Amino acid sequence: MARAIMKLENINAGYEKLQTLFDVTLEVPEGEITVIVGPNGAGKSTLLKTMFGLTKVYTGRIVFDNKDITKLPPHERAKLGMAFIFQLENVFANLSVRENLRLAGHDLPPDVLEERIREVFETFPRLKERVDQKAGTMSGGERQMLAMAIGMIRKPKIFLIDEPTAGLAPKLAKGVLENVKRLNEQGYTIVLVEQNVKAGLEIGDKGVLVVNGRIAFDGPASELLARKDLARLYLGVGGR
Amino acid sequence: MVDLNLLMSTTIYGSVLALLALGITIIYMTTKVFNFAHPRLSLVGAYLAATAMAVYVQHAGIKPNFEGSQVLGGQLIVPYPASVYIIGFLVAMVGGVLAAMFEYYVILKPLLKRGADFLKLMIATLAYDFLLMAVLLLYNTHVWIKKTLKDGLNLIATKMDFSAYDFALITQGQTYISGGFILAVAVTVVLALSLYILLFRTTLGIKMRASVENPPLAEVLGVNVERIYAISWIISGLTAGIAGFLMLLEPSSGSLKPISATSPADEIVVSAFAGSIVGGVNSIFGSIFGGFFIGYVETYVTNWLALLLGMKELFKYSRVVSMFIVGLTLMFAPQGVIALLREKKVVDRILGFVKGRRGEK
Ligand SMILES: Nc1ncnc2c1ncn2[C@@H]1O[C@H](COP(=O)(O)OP(=O)(O)OP(=O)(O)O)[C@@H](O)[C@H]1O
Ligand SMILES: [Mg+2]
Repeated sequence: MARAIMKLENINAGYEKLQTLFDVTLEVPEGEITVIVGPNGAGKSTLLKTMFGLTKVYTGRIVFDNKDITKLPPHERAKLGMAFIFQLENVFANLSVRENLRLAGHDLPPDVLEERIREVFETFPRLKERVDQKAGTMSGGERQMLAMAIGMIRKPKIFLIDEPTAGLAPKLAKGVLENVKRLNEQGYTIVLVEQNVKAGLEIGDKGVLVVNGRIAFDGPASELLARKDLARLYLGVGGR
Repeated sequence: MVDLNLLMSTTIYGSVLALLALGITIIYMTTKVFNFAHPRLSLVGAYLAATAMAVYVQHAGIKPNFEGSQVLGGQLIVPYPASVYIIGFLVAMVGGVLAAMFEYYVILKPLLKRGADFLKLMIATLAYDFLLMAVLLLYNTHVWIKKTLKDGLNLIATKMDFSAYDFALITQGQTYISGGFILAVAVTVVLALSLYILLFRTTLGIKMRASVENPPLAEVLGVNVERIYAISWIISGLTAGIAGFLMLLEPSSGSLKPISATSPADEIVVSAFAGSIVGGVNSIFGSIFGGFFIGYVETYVTNWLALLLGMKELFKYSRVVSMFIVGLTLMFAPQGVIALLREKKVVDRILGFVKGRRGEK
């Protein structure tokens, strides 16, 4: 198995006084897609946020790229090479496409930034046509593209992606997951939360099931997909 | 006929309100707190400015420029050399910034870290306002301060009026344009332009707008949102300090009062918040507009009513007009008056009205 680029060790975390994650231990293998699934409110988003320092960690340790980052604020984790695509509000609606991209690469040298912007426009030509449009006026699919482009500008070592297909038509959703797969093929490590369990686990290497803030399964994605007992219990698929 | 003096003094008053409303708005947009202490920050700036000017005048042995003195608008104006005003202006800004930084770092940030909500923060700003008031009362009754201000600038520390040293830039007979007026207009225009360039033409501006819209997203893209907040507190303190200097120089403009630890801040807080609210609370340029709007409407409506009813005492109640406008704004245009104009329907309606299309339907 690939080296773990990120490790969570006995994490207890939550929001101020509300604990949401209980004794979570998890490894994210480098260069792979780790897919996190689980029922609504299980703590999937919280798990991603915890990796990025957006929740309160009571006890436990988070290691990224051999560095202990447990106490690091999010903007410094970003500088270490982490990117996060939120479930909702994942672009700046009041900024234009170009401003969104410029913000994402604000600490890159200007010529590198221009080069990266050209690169993402090659990947997403739709964005190039809308470069001066406010992100808030774009369609859901376009916004999702922009969200991904924002993450790519920094060439991060790891991508945390929270339900990129939520609210998209099935056809669009398929395209988004294909984009995720393509990102991974370019060498990016990906942690993906996906509510469409089947489609998600199919592109994934590793599968993680979160229930009530605890890890209920941690193993190969194909194995989790095959575990009909777990699927029927928590996910509402498989039986159909 | 336009009363030029009234127009000038109202404009000075309007820019003081615009500067204060701007500071209130920028803090509300970033830190999400209504800073009730804001007008008092400007008094800190004014006091430190007056003290610095007095010390400078004494140490450098500067005398008011009697040769350049004039009787203008019934007042003898004896200006100082420009350096005195420049020092005052700079120190006022420093004072405003220090008072603002203290509020953010010592009072609000620890509370924010503990997860204090909007109401708790608001009450904390009120407490800071009282604290500043007490400190300023101690300050302006201190023997050394009283003596310095008296000896240096002939000011009474508990009621500072610097207008006798105003400088008139353009004079023609008895009509003149006061230095305070030029300063007020210039500062507001320069500030509005620089803020525009900062916000819309620089990377820092993109970061600021991003941090206002979605702080966690800005954070995960590597923006130190806390630092952006600190910068907004600096801007807020800076503008408060400038407002304080204008109040010191032009205390009889609009419904301003001579600088003291209490009166100006306690009263102007109503109009300053009115300016911010009329501007839409979430719009920097709206707040500048709102400040001027409140300044003009307050003064002219009160003036008109006073004339109409033949009651001069009405001026004491000019803030009622501001309260009334706040009420109207919250009822009919909670997004602010500017947002009303931005709504296409309203613009269309106005355009339609202008073109006379209304009758055709
Ligand atoms: N900002 C917050 N403050 C307080 N509690 C929160 C916050 N965000 C989430 N929670 C709570 O934490 C728990 C886990 O929420 P989380 O968003 O992690 O679930 P999820 O697995 O991502 O669900 P979904 O599939 O609906 O996105 C829920 O009980 C939720 O109410
Ligand atoms: Mg979620």
